[in-house]
Amino acid sequence: MAGRFPNVATLLVVAALVVMPFVMHTTLATQIVIFATGTLSVTLLLGAVGLLSFGQGLFLGLGAYTCAILLRDHQAGPLTGLVVAMLAGAALALALGALIVRRRGVYFVMLTLAFAQMGYFAMLAFKGVTGGENGLTGLPRTFRVLGLPIESPLSFYVLTTVAFLIVFLLVQRLTASPLGSVLAAIRENEGRSEALGYPVVRYKLAAFTAAGAIAGLAGGLHAVFLGFVPPSDIELEMSQRLLIMAIIGGVGSPAGAFAGSVFYTLVSEALSEIWARWLALIALLLIAIVLFLPGGLWSIGRLVAGRWGGRAGHG
Amino acid sequence: MIERRRFLTSATAAAAVLAAPPLIRRANAQSVLDIAAVYSLSGTFANVGSALNDGSKWAVEAYGSAGGNKLNYVLLDDRGDAGEAVRKVQEVMTQHGIKHVVGCTNSAIGLAVQKEVHARGGIYVNEAGADEITGKDCNRSSFRWPVACYSAVNSTVRPLIDKFPQAKRWYTITGQYVFGDSLLSNCKQVFQEKGIQHVGNSYHSLSDREYSGYIATALSAAPDVLAVCNFGNQTVDVIRQAVSYGMKRNTKILAVWSTGLDQYQALGPENCDGVYFGCNFWHGVDSPGGRRVAEIVKQKTGDVPNYLHACGYAVAQVLIEGINKAGSTDVPKIIGALEGLSYEGPTGTETVRPQDHQVLKDYYLMLGKAKGAMKDKNDFADVVAATKAFLPPDKTGCTMG
Amino acid sequence: MSTQLLLFQVLNGLGIGMIYFLLSVGLTLIFGLMRFVNFAHGAFYLAAAYIAYAISLAFGSIWWALLIGPLAIAALALVIERLLLRHTYAMPHEAQILITFAVALLFQEIVILIFDPLAKSVPVPASLSGIVFLGPYVYPAYRLAVVAAAAVIAVVLWLVVERTKFGAMLRAGSENAEMVGLLGINVDRVFMAAFALGGALAGLAGVLAAPLRGAEPFMSTEALGIAFVVVVVGGLGTLTGALVGGLLIGLVQSIMSTLWPEAAQLMIYAAMALVLLVRPAGLFGRF
Repeated sequence: MAGRFPNVATLLVVAALVVMPFVMHTTLATQIVIFATGTLSVTLLLGAVGLLSFGQGLFLGLGAYTCAILLRDHQAGPLTGLVVAMLAGAALALALGALIVRRRGVYFVMLTLAFAQMGYFAMLAFKGVTGGENGLTGLPRTFRVLGLPIESPLSFYVLTTVAFLIVFLLVQRLTASPLGSVLAAIRENEGRSEALGYPVVRYKLAAFTAAGAIAGLAGGLHAVFLGFVPPSDIELEMSQRLLIMAIIGGVGSPAGAFAGSVFYTLVSEALSEIWARWLALIALLLIAIVLFLPGGLWSIGRLVAGRWGGRAGHG
Repeated sequence: MIERRRFLTSATAAAAVLAAPPLIRRANAQSVLDIAAVYSLSGTFANVGSALNDGSKWAVEAYGSAGGNKLNYVLLDDRGDAGEAVRKVQEVMTQHGIKHVVGCTNSAIGLAVQKEVHARGGIYVNEAGADEITGKDCNRSSFRWPVACYSAVNSTVRPLIDKFPQAKRWYTITGQYVFGDSLLSNCKQVFQEKGIQHVGNSYHSLSDREYSGYIATALSAAPDVLAVCNFGNQTVDVIRQAVSYGMKRNTKILAVWSTGLDQYQALGPENCDGVYFGCNFWHGVDSPGGRRVAEIVKQKTGDVPNYLHACGYAVAQVLIEGINKAGSTDVPKIIGALEGLSYEGPTGTETVRPQDHQVLKDYYLMLGKAKGAMKDKNDFADVVAATKAFLPPDKTGCTMG
Repeated sequence: MSTQLLLFQVLNGLGIGMIYFLLSVGLTLIFGLMRFVNFAHGAFYLAAAYIAYAISLAFGSIWWALLIGPLAIAALALVIERLLLRHTYAMPHEAQILITFAVALLFQEIVILIFDPLAKSVPVPASLSGIVFLGPYVYPAYRLAVVAAAAVIAVVLWLVVERTKFGAMLRAGSENAEMVGLLGINVDRVFMAAFALGGALAGLAGVLAAPLRGAEPFMSTEALGIAFVVVVVGGLGTLTGALVGGLLIGLVQSIMSTLWPEAAQLMIYAAMALVLLVRPAGLFGRF
């Protein structure tokens, strides 16, 4: 995964972000960018350190509720809300991560799923705070960020995109750095990295915490954008959706998270009214990708680029 | 009237098809009024969403026009995701100027859309069950057809107590969520007023499927009546398991909130027999409005209407009746026209209460019957009582904010 | 809580626990031999419940489903193993998790497509529709029959594991996966057999549970969650673990639903987290 930064992927993603509001509904574009942010947390974990998480929805949900409560009950501005949502995601990920990153393989996967379920039950149990199955409503609908009004769909899109780009560039920068190479070494062979003297658990914990922060940010953005927190933000289905987006897009590159979100959102949008069982097609695609295209959709671009440019492109 | 928007020209054909198929219509359609309906065609509640959608769509088709405008039904499919519902409402209201919205597949969607439509100056008629809809979260733009928890409890628990005054010991099994809690607190008030002994309550969570523990607890309290305070498949599961524990022998079972026909079908007559249910609509009740719904549904499905068809139909009907009365598509005028309006709805004459925008209508107490007593395949239950019981407007917590 | 009520809940919890054991034992078997977690296990259970429903419609009772259900699911499992899983054995374990997760999604959607998303009721066989008095307690006859069936299955499986060559392989596999290959056993055939057997057990659980829970398209997620908790608590890959884990979780759920009902579901997962923190390999696990 280590490579140059910024690279072709950076340019392509930025170009797509600029074009998107012109070729589709602005709110749809915003939705795509928010889910791309959430998916980035899965991509970072699985792609960079080899940790498969069925539980990123937990951090996304926590971020959404945290941000919403700050905005509604404490008159916080959206920037404060988003930063605190990130911190909340990071803090919870650090605490849970300290307990579970030591566990390898399937144990880690099962534990992420179990904690995601617990988060959902906690949301229902504390319904006085979260609104329970009704969701959390009544957030302000207009904001000012750095003196600029955030009111129109396009202004929400710009806010979301700026947040996404910052995170995206940081993740790209990280994976291209020497630290990224260490994480990749852990992914390839954990035992050897440990033998070489790397504090493997600490590195994994750092990655898990960063992923929690990113998912928390995505949740905060979702709350600000919708003016409401749907309970589905913290359901297991959210974790699964982020995972599916990540796998379909490809975890070999941060840009895969973006590609996965674009693809999944547009396809589900197009298919839902035509065929209610569209998820079956997504499932088939998921199987096909795992078996035949482990790099996900993004790697198609890289293959083409590699052939065309006569050398392997860098995601 | 809503003009055709420019977005189509700036979008590529592919993106337009992806983003907005229902919005593409004839360029010369001058006096077409778009009615947006928010339903889940996929996801967990797809069965509910698609039946509700059918009902609303058929109502719009049957009326055809309102206030001199040809009606155009615009489905906003939220895929079972409340966030997606809000996003799509935002999209059609800001980008396409749609102001007339109906429908929701569950309460979370209803509450969120209600806020969104109000913030953007539209009108919204929905079928959410949550009290907050015409309670503390009510607003001028929103109307609700089904009854609130207060009415469901007072139209079922009260007649049952009157019918069996010697049944003093009641046990409740409650969904540990906002809706279940609201049913429970209303039950407790009636119990207190009527001198009923509430011998216990068991909470189950939204994701529970296994209730034998709760039912065992209930059995050990030896109640005269078991009141089930939850909704959806969980109602069906609790009743099925209570019956399998032999609870019907010494205890009457009451499901305070049911959706009627589809749940009776899921339970089968062997489980329904002797069980009491509360419900918002029953096809066997004869009324001019009910006959109209029955005709339309018969024509479409060849069968009788269920609660979901009736609900979907009713929310569209309320909006259209309002537009007709106002003779205008102007939102404030429709709101004014709807307040106090009476019309022939699926349950008989229904009235829109001005103070909280709740539709005042009957809620039924039903009694399931044995297979041998069924006159046809849909004749699962008889109406025992039909009651209009509503919280006084000053008690709902609605301030029309 | 009175002693009487506590005893009642214990009895009830053991009943739930036996059903949970049945649900989980296939999962643990597959893990023991093949070293992966079958995310489609809940979907097998789901498909079998619908087979029971279809058969009850056709024949008026589920008796035939007890035979057809497990066989059909075993066949389905074989097809999936040959068609998909076989290609993932050389890949990292994520591949198997993702493939079986996708298969589960696919099953859910296919079930809705064939039937519809509404919950279906599956009648209890007429001969078992009554209730039984166990001392002062009332217990549904059918539930008692399911508990008895689960107990019989537990004994049969124990005999298979302890007394047959297949069981020896299973034990060898859960001690050391490489050893199975070194023993000169045809790993390919063992994997096929294990996956089919695991599927058949999930199928049997689905058919037996159908009259208790009905059939509905989203029951697979719940079943998978429970099966996960049971095998993680008991220890992956061990029969005793699945039995003890199942009973323990059944008890936790049943007792908590009286003591602290809001958290009955939460406590199942809390119990799992606790066991994992104290005994990472589960109560009876070896790795």
